[in-house]
Amino acid sequence: MDSLALAVALPLLAALLATVWPARATLLGLLGALATAAAALMVITEVWEHGQLSTALGGWDIPLGIALAADGLSAALLAMTALVGLAISLYAAAYFDGRQAMHFWPLWLLLWTALNGLFLAGDLFNLYVTLELLGLSAVALGALGGDRAAVAASLRYLLVSLLGSISYLLGVVLLYTAHGSLDLARVAAALQPGPVAAAAMTLMIGGLTMKAALFPLHFWLPPAHASAPAPVSAALSALVVKAAVYLILRLWLDLFAPLVTTGAAMLLGGLGAAAVIWGSWRALHAERLKLLAAYSTVAQIGYLFLFPPLFQATPPGPGRDDLLAALVLMILTHGFAKSALFLAVGVIQKRSGHDRIAELGGTAQRLPATTFTLGLAGIALIGLPPSGSFTGKWLLLNGAFASGQWGWILVILTGTLMTAAYVFRVLSRAFNLEPTPPGFVTDARTELPALLLAAIAAIGLGLAAAPLWPLLGGGEDGT
Amino acid sequence: MNRTPSLVVALLVAPLALVLLWAFHEALTQPSGARLADLAETSLSRTGVGNPVTAVLLSYRGYDTMLELGVLLAALLGIWSLGRVSPGFHPPELALTAMVAWVVPLLILTAGYLLWAGAERPGGAFQGGALLGAAGVILRLTGERRLGLPSERAQRRLAIAGIGAFLAVGLGTAAAGLGFLAYPESWSKWLILLIETATTLAVGMTLAAAYPGGPPGPAGNERDAP
Repeated sequence: MDSLALAVALPLLAALLATVWPARATLLGLLGALATAAAALMVITEVWEHGQLSTALGGWDIPLGIALAADGLSAALLAMTALVGLAISLYAAAYFDGRQAMHFWPLWLLLWTALNGLFLAGDLFNLYVTLELLGLSAVALGALGGDRAAVAASLRYLLVSLLGSISYLLGVVLLYTAHGSLDLARVAAALQPGPVAAAAMTLMIGGLTMKAALFPLHFWLPPAHASAPAPVSAALSALVVKAAVYLILRLWLDLFAPLVTTGAAMLLGGLGAAAVIWGSWRALHAERLKLLAAYSTVAQIGYLFLFPPLFQATPPGPGRDDLLAALVLMILTHGFAKSALFLAVGVIQKRSGHDRIAELGGTAQRLPATTFTLGLAGIALIGLPPSGSFTGKWLLLNGAFASGQWGWILVILTGTLMTAAYVFRVLSRAFNLEPTPPGFVTDARTELPALLLAAIAAIGLGLAAAPLWPLLGGGEDGT
Repeated sequence: MNRTPSLVVALLVAPLALVLLWAFHEALTQPSGARLADLAETSLSRTGVGNPVTAVLLSYRGYDTMLELGVLLAALLGIWSLGRVSPGFHPPELALTAMVAWVVPLLILTAGYLLWAGAERPGGAFQGGALLGAAGVILRLTGERRLGLPSERAQRRLAIAGIGAFLAVGLGTAAAGLGFLAYPESWSKWLILLIETATTLAVGMTLAAAYPGGPPGPAGNERDAP
């Protein structure tokens, strides 16, 4: 049996069964989740053994039939989706009941189908179909919150998602007109730099950045992710946005590799940097936990777009492999951390009826495990060792040093500090039963100088230590 | 609406459109090797159908069509999850009611014809399904609350019929060692007809049920109050 087709067919089959027997939706959904995870495991094992997998569907050879393909990158995302999907399924089985469960399960399994289909697709038009299925099921799930705000946010999400898909499709039309094929590998082999390829790249990657919520096209994400039910928020932030990032990466590295310019890479990097700063800033000022988590997603997506300029500056070899590994590591870490965060917030919201950060006092006493989850997810988001994003950020910094692109280093460090600030803002409230202080600074004249000294000791010296070497080494370099 | 921003938008969009048109022209004039359309024509005899569009939708790229039906299903489930809507229709005029008694059976008949004709001529499951959906919409416009649709239970079965047929055939051929959705040549025509019939029903039912918005209503109270 063909494991690639099974990884798409099984969640789809489960979605159909859950549609037909709504009263048994939860049980059927859980069984479907297990079967889907097992199929994903099969694909991952085969990729592990053979390196690459591919198959042509429908009994037709490649230009005529549709290719499914898997390599290390798709296997990694498939694995993340399987684990996060299983966790979300278990959580949702306890979270939803009655009519909500009946609505949730078929849509969630359709979403999973679309994710697996997208990670395994080797055909440009098939990718569009999976994008549509992904977008529509994500929008419908987001509206399950039921109130007016959730529906309004979902409608905006739908319009943005459709615009992104159409833009992607326009690019595919150009490529098909020029090269007479839809197969990713074939088009990649035939692609020549020129106006057609450049227009297709702009349309496709531009449309996908909208779906990936890259600054300044992130405006739809915070309301949509913050107003959805917790398991849905987790799926949207951890998986759905990542699917668009994965596709950008796939197109950037596989399809448009001969075409990408330093200018285009710098543009993506610059937008990513702006996303890191803006997203972290808004997360720092969010009043509700879910909004904080959503803005944190905007920022974390930003980090991923710091990689293209470094790819551009790094010749193929171990350095570039390190960068790719770091990028995937950061995608995975954020996927796990953010889904954990949203699920934990869901617990707090169900218990206390709200998710206002200012009123979290005593959460550590009432929900120790959930508070610990917030802490662990926070560690991963900040990138403290030994989390995956620590290694990811370390390699990212290495790449930036090696290629002399100093600007990114500043962005990464600032973003990390701000992440630490918003994570500790939540944790300090959660661990604190005392009334919260009215403001950060109580007596500016005495406190600020001390704060400044501490900041220099903790941060300033680390960044500005370089001049010490010539100063202490005095005269060795001939000055 | 004030007109200045829209004029600015038009001025900004126009050069973009020109660039796109130029790129499209370049793409058209670029010489390319074997085109997919030629290949689709030459392989047509092995698909069991004579209409190249049907061959693309059901045979060459059946997997795409299956997922597209998934999109339709997601849309319908999404609409159903949004809760009930208030009926906002005027009671129908006599002339409309009389005409509908003719139009609806004709639409259903034509849908059946299109489904059968699709194998050799323009037509097929989506066109036939669209007509069935239209029949439901017209019934709704004359005050028929349930659009001629069966119970919710039956609607759920119909909604998945197309994908269900695709999956059953696909998993069957995969289990037989042929590969997912790889129809054996001698069975191809009939398997395609089976999938198309199920798809016609699913598309028609989905389009009709999507039109009024909200989940299927409870039984009884079949017509709007005059």
